[in-house]
Amino acid sequence: MSSAGVITSFIKKEFRQIMRSREMLIVLFALPAVQLLVMGFAVTNEVKNLRLGILDYDRSASSRDLISSFSSGDRFQVVPVSESDNAAELISAWKAQLVLVIPPDFGADYQMGRQSSLQLVLDGIDGNSAAVANSYAAGVIADFYQRQSKTRLHRAPLPRLSPGVQLISQMSFNPDLKSSLNTIPGIIAILVTVTSMMLSAISLVKEKELGTLEQLMVTPVKRYQLMAGKLIPYLIITLVQLQVAILLAGLIFGLELAGSYFTLILFSVVYLFTSLGLGILISSRVNSQQQAMFFSWFIMVVMILLSGFFVPIRNMPQSIQWISFINPLSHYMTVLREIVVKGSSLAQLSRELWILSASGLLVFGFSVLSFRKRV
Amino acid sequence: MIHTSHLVKQFGSFKAVDEINLEIGRGEIFGFLGANGAGKTTTIRMLCGLLKPSSGEIRIDNLDIIKHSEQIKHKLGYMSQKFSLYPDLKAIENLQFYAGIYRVSFEPALKRLEPILEQFGLSSILKTLTQDLPMGYKQRLSLVAALMHDPPLVFLDEPTSGVDPQARREFWQVINDLAQSGKTIIVSTHFMDEAEYCHRVIIMQDGREVALGNPAELKQEYGSANMQELFLKVLGVSDAKL
Repeated sequence: MSSAGVITSFIKKEFRQIMRSREMLIVLFALPAVQLLVMGFAVTNEVKNLRLGILDYDRSASSRDLISSFSSGDRFQVVPVSESDNAAELISAWKAQLVLVIPPDFGADYQMGRQSSLQLVLDGIDGNSAAVANSYAAGVIADFYQRQSKTRLHRAPLPRLSPGVQLISQMSFNPDLKSSLNTIPGIIAILVTVTSMMLSAISLVKEKELGTLEQLMVTPVKRYQLMAGKLIPYLIITLVQLQVAILLAGLIFGLELAGSYFTLILFSVVYLFTSLGLGILISSRVNSQQQAMFFSWFIMVVMILLSGFFVPIRNMPQSIQWISFINPLSHYMTVLREIVVKGSSLAQLSRELWILSASGLLVFGFSVLSFRKRV
Repeated sequence: MIHTSHLVKQFGSFKAVDEINLEIGRGEIFGFLGANGAGKTTTIRMLCGLLKPSSGEIRIDNLDIIKHSEQIKHKLGYMSQKFSLYPDLKAIENLQFYAGIYRVSFEPALKRLEPILEQFGLSSILKTLTQDLPMGYKQRLSLVAALMHDPPLVFLDEPTSGVDPQARREFWQVINDLAQSGKTIIVSTHFMDEAEYCHRVIIMQDGREVALGNPAELKQEYGSANMQELFLKVLGVSDAKL
């Protein structure tokens, strides 16, 4: 029998152990499904049904027109307010999330082409939602002016306020600004990381605890055979899980892979060298499965927080942005989004391919060396 | 089969094994006796290549253990103190795995070991998950796993701890047969009655050899009725103290 035969024996053994453990199968396939479902629906920065209070001190045709542009669509839900209400109270009493104040001369000023102003008061506790709400409202108001200036062209000169330059924005690749298009690839990237790192972090230390590692050290098994025999099954399992996740994302969220499947798998395999390497590195240095769990959770949480999944990397301080740059997960996540949503080609992603390859080479190489010394 | 000279293992300032010189022949059952911490397990771990000696020389089948470690690993079977088969594999899958690791074909190996499997009563439980087997069966299965590649040299580190006397006797029967077929058996134990099965024993204390020889001859030399008495006498502990 050849060296390949030894590795095959390992692969067979690993698969038998994994397939026999019901807990393992649940962790590998049921949890990801649940995670995808829950996080896919929950982690969204789309804002809907914003409770909008409108204090109309003008009561002109223009102001009524403006109000009606807010009530169409499902973004704003106009809540009833009374004359005596004021904006701050409406917000602190949770009656409204944002309040639009239309001043008394709004209509008249506007008709005369004078500077007119509107006030928007927002609940800023959740800054992200407030920013989104603000931009929605700004959009509605801009639309309103646009329409008004068109209908009025025949009657009066163009008012100063209506812009001479019209900005037409087009949201490419995600015209509806569907949040799931952004979050689902992110969740998939996290799943791939968690599964591969957990499996490999436990792998060696479990054998250390059982005493089977010592038994293996007496046999003529070479270290590279042991490593290959462990990592190949984990690589395959993670890729299967990735496949399952993509399928589910298609079924549930209607996510379609815009790019090439081959590119996606290529990047995943390259990335797995880093995450499996990190797991092996942990596993060869710790003495118990608990320690392995602790260290891998710690590393994963940092990687996920700095991946741009929850907070865009550009919003982070410069120093943290540098850490994010060396975070392989943030690159893998970017790549997944680009491939899944934009359909970017391998050539367009060549920079990321270089970065992820370098990271894989570095981490995996280091973990192999560390493994040789420690085991 | 085994030759050591001036074998020393030092952990920091602690000498776990101190100047052990051994000459063990083919087909011999050689026992390591001693209290916990006497250096038995450390010596055995060095002999099978798990630990590097601090100084001294080990030759197995006339091969230096450091220079020819790969060759030597094919020649030895090792059954550790701690039960170390995979609990979540079936008995037969464990055997298959070790056959694969040693690069031997499984079917012929199993056929060769059939008499031992029969003697151990393992044939009927091969399809059982290893974790569901009683301790005695696990021990026997470990021994069979260590024999998959038909090694001429077998190390057994406290193989019978936690096993009932009846099972221990059967176990030693098989060990005896193995030695008769020409295998060299190195065994460590703290059961003194088991020492009687050995052709020669070394009694160790604080990493040093305090007695070495055939059990019967040693008993005569020290004027002891049994191994227990001999052991205590050699270590200089009187019965009265116990």
